[in-house]
Amino acid sequence: MNEKKQKWTVFSILGLLLLILFAAICIAPFIYMAIMSFTKSTTLMLHMKDINFTDFTNFQYVLGKSGFIRALINSIIVVFCSCLFNCIIASMAAYGFTKKKFPGREVIFRIYLLTLMIPGQVTMIPVFIMMNKAGLTNTYFALIVIILNAFGVFLIRQFMDSVPDELLEAAKVDGCPEYRIFIQIVIPLIKPVLISLVVFTFVTSWNDFLWPLVSTSDSSMYTLTVALSLLKTQYQTNYGLIMAGATVSFLFPFVMYVFLQKQFVEGIALSGIKG
Amino acid sequence: MSRKTKEAVQGVIYILPSFVLILIFCIVPIFMSGFFSFTDYNIMNAPEFVGLDNYKKMFQDSYVRDAAKNTLLYVVMTVPVQTLLALTLAAFLAEKMRNKTGGFLRSVMFIPVIASAVTAGTIWRIILNTDGGFLNNILNFFHISSVNWLGSTQTSLLSICIVAVWKNVGYFLVIYYAGIMGIQKELYEAAKVDGATSIQQFTKITLPILKPITYLVVTLGIIWSFQVFDLAYLMTGGGPGHSSVTLVMGIYNAAFKQYKMGYACAMAMFLLIMIIIINVIEDLFFKEKREAK
Repeated sequence: MNEKKQKWTVFSILGLLLLILFAAICIAPFIYMAIMSFTKSTTLMLHMKDINFTDFTNFQYVLGKSGFIRALINSIIVVFCSCLFNCIIASMAAYGFTKKKFPGREVIFRIYLLTLMIPGQVTMIPVFIMMNKAGLTNTYFALIVIILNAFGVFLIRQFMDSVPDELLEAAKVDGCPEYRIFIQIVIPLIKPVLISLVVFTFVTSWNDFLWPLVSTSDSSMYTLTVALSLLKTQYQTNYGLIMAGATVSFLFPFVMYVFLQKQFVEGIALSGIKG
Repeated sequence: MSRKTKEAVQGVIYILPSFVLILIFCIVPIFMSGFFSFTDYNIMNAPEFVGLDNYKKMFQDSYVRDAAKNTLLYVVMTVPVQTLLALTLAAFLAEKMRNKTGGFLRSVMFIPVIASAVTAGTIWRIILNTDGGFLNNILNFFHISSVNWLGSTQTSLLSICIVAVWKNVGYFLVIYYAGIMGIQKELYEAAKVDGATSIQQFTKITLPILKPITYLVVTLGIIWSFQVFDLAYLMTGGGPGHSSVTLVMGIYNAAFKQYKMGYACAMAMFLLIMIIIINVIEDLFFKEKREAK
């Protein structure tokens, strides 16, 4: 037992202080945001008498009057469709790449990996021009379709090895049609990685700003990030209202994070470890 | 149809949807960007070939020069700080806090990562407000006079860097933490037997093993810094003056405010080349390491 006991030196106490201090700095702005969103004051000075946690006026006003509710619905639609769409297409491709042999398989996968290196800001202008010429700006299609990238394929492909070939062979011998093998055997087996992909897609799509900013000009098509960025010009110094908007936009990812913490850290942290 | 052909056909069908999308939305646009960068194009009229004009103009444009300078400064100010901070915090967490408290602290530090840059920028713009902003209130409390964080050319970029570090550390911390947890315990036990202090253990065992992770963290940090837009757009809009404009902001303004698509594409190609160079350098480092083994 004695050996296991850790020694607390001055050095490690400093480390602990640093940890706690940094954790506090990480969370404080969000607490400040939440408190501010319940104040009516338009000055930055927080007085206890201005704070009323049962008063949702700011939220009602932001959601109702400023079209924020429309942006919230848009974001939900876009995020839901991109998650679904990304999961289906990426798991199909990952299955094809690992379990089916076809000429050029390796080369095509190399190309997929190379595309991961390309930042969205480089492809954005031509994609905008294409969408513009096709009359597809200000559509959900434009907001959703852009989310797919090779990362999902790469992520699921690593997981496909855990799907045993024998199982697929056995199903084939039993006369199970190909599409049912994929839907009823493969998909359930890769569920854990699909959750990670959903989380990753959710956060990327919910937080995406530049593409929605560029591809929507009609305020009824704005997503939350765009609507939030406009609040500061709409309401100037009505900080309570702006913070209510920020709270609404942060609430969804935060609640999901509380429930799916492990998948969050995996899904997001993995995004960096690619190629 | 033979079994082999059938399988090949199925394989192609499975990858086809993703292939078409990646082709249309990633591969083709790269070549289009390359092509447009040699043209004068405002979307309405047909692109007009101008050779290297856009690139020549770009290197003389004071906006682009400031953006390149700021982006470089941004890299220099954020990458070392966030890497060191993430490593230090991860090392302490792995050394002393492999328990629930440690897990809780890690979860808390990851929260800024999941918030959008727009949310973060919105909150921090208010916190950094000169008159009565939260941070200046704290400074005043310690009898330090208020700083005009976002409104002065001296501190606007620095403020964005501080928020970027705040937002990124949790991400790199998770990567470092996983790396440290993956190191075999026997190594440390052997070192302890030989009488190595914990600082020696850290510099002689932990750091060398974490080298590939450090390359990853640094490369990613640099690449993200090159792409910075949301935070700067939200917090300062590039100002005051050109003091916090970034390369991507330059691309955005040229393409979507001035409709100079060709010029914007030239800047985008410049960004792409920079990112490819960083990736190649990282690859070379990795290769060196593999050969050394």
